[in-house]
Amino acid sequence: MSEQHHPDYKKIYVALVILLAISVAGPHVGLKWLTLITAFGVALVKANLVVENFMHLKWEKVVAKWVLGVALVLMGLFFAGVAPDVMEHTGDRWVNNAAIAAVARGIPDEEEEGAPESGGAEQAAASTETAAAPAPAAPAFSPETQFKQVCSACHGMEGKGDGPGAAGLDPKPANFTDPAFWADKDDATLVKAIREGGASVGKSSAMPAWGSLYNEEQAKQLVAYLHTLKGS
Amino acid sequence: MQKPIATTRSATGIPTGRLAVWWVLASEIVIFGGLLASYVMHRIGHPEWAVAASHTNTWIGATNTFVLLTSSFTAVLAHQAAEHGDGRTAAKYLFMTIGGACTFILIKSLEWTHEIREGFVIQANGFWSFYYTAAGLHALHVIAGAIVMAFVARDAMKGRELHRVELVGIYWHFVDVIWIFLFPLLYIAK
Repeated sequence: MSEQHHPDYKKIYVALVILLAISVAGPHVGLKWLTLITAFGVALVKANLVVENFMHLKWEKVVAKWVLGVALVLMGLFFAGVAPDVMEHTGDRWVNNAAIAAVARGIPDEEEEGAPESGGAEQAAASTETAAAPAPAAPAFSPETQFKQVCSACHGMEGKGDGPGAAGLDPKPANFTDPAFWADKDDATLVKAIREGGASVGKSSAMPAWGSLYNEEQAKQLVAYLHTLKGS
Repeated sequence: MQKPIATTRSATGIPTGRLAVWWVLASEIVIFGGLLASYVMHRIGHPEWAVAASHTNTWIGATNTFVLLTSSFTAVLAHQAAEHGDGRTAAKYLFMTIGGACTFILIKSLEWTHEIREGFVIQANGFWSFYYTAAGLHALHVIAGAIVMAFVARDAMKGRELHRVELVGIYWHFVDVIWIFLFPLLYIAK
C-alpha cells in the first residue's frame, strides 16, 4: 500500500462501458470479420484495461507478470497441442466418425430423439441470420449431400474408396465404382452394413454403424445413391 | 494479538497476501483457460453449434457484463478509499460491489430458468454443456467473491485489515475479466 497509483478510474470505467456497447453493436453490421474484431478484439482491450488499471498490474513488480504469463503460456500450449485433433474431423490416417455424424445431424451425439436432419455447416451458417427463431425446419433428406458430408470421409467424394480417412484403413473402404464390389451384394446387405456397421455383414469393422444417423428408409435412399456411382 | 504472519517477501518485494492472490489467479487462468480453450476448439470443429448459440440472449449477457464492469469500478473505488485509510468508505463501496454480485446472480438465475424451461438443458448438446459449465463455474466464483467481500467489508468498517480490500478487489477484477471473455464466446459469436 506504500506506492499509490490512481489512474482516473471513472474514465476507465466509461471507456469499458463504451467498449461494451461496441461489442454489442458489432454483429448488427452483419460482417463476420467485423464481428470477430468487435467481439474478441474489444474483449482483449477491455480485459487489458481492467488488468492494467483496476488490478494495478501496470505498477506491480515484474515477478507477478511472470506468474500470470506462465499460466497463460500453459493454456496456449494446451490449445496448440489438442486443438488440431478437435477442430478437424479427418486426418491423414484417421477419421472422427462421431464428430462427422454430429455435424451432419446438426446436433451433437447425445440427443437422439427429435434431432432435426439439418444440412450441417450450411444450415448452421444460414440460421445465424434468424437469431431468435426456433430450430429451423428440417430440410428434405438428400442422400447425395449425406454421402458427401459423411461417407466421403473414407469412401471419397466419388465413391472410389479414396477419401482422406482411407489411408489408415486396411482393408480399404469399398470402391462403389468397381463392378467387383457389386458382384456379390444385394441392397438389403448394404442397408444392413450402413445401419449396423461393416462387421454385421462380415466386412471390415472400420465401417461404423450409422443407425443413429439414418433410419431404414434413409439407408435405402443412400444405397440407391450408391447405385448411381457405379457407372461414373 | 500478535499475528505470526510475514507481511512482505524480500525475494519479490510484493506483500505476501498480494503475491498469494497472484498465485491463485495463475491457477484460475489454468482452470478457466483449459475450459475456454476446449470450448473454442470444439466450437470451431462444430459449425452446427451456431444453431444452439443463436438461442442465447445477447441483451441479458450485455446487461450482466455492465453489472460486473460497474461492480469492478466500485471495487477499485473501495481500494482507493482503503489506501487513504478510510475504512468506512471502503466498506460502503465493497457492499455496493456485493450488490453487483447479487444482481448478476439474480439475472443469471432468471436467464437460466427461462432457458431450461425452453428445453436448453445442460445435456441438450455440446454447446449447452459448455454454456452451463463455463458460466456456472464463473457464477460460483462470483458467489465466493461476494462472501469473502462481506468479511473484508465488515473488518474494513472498523478500520481493520484494510490491505485486504485491495486483495479481494484483485480477485474480483479477475472474475470480471473472465466474464469479459465469456460474454463474446457465449453470446456474441453466433
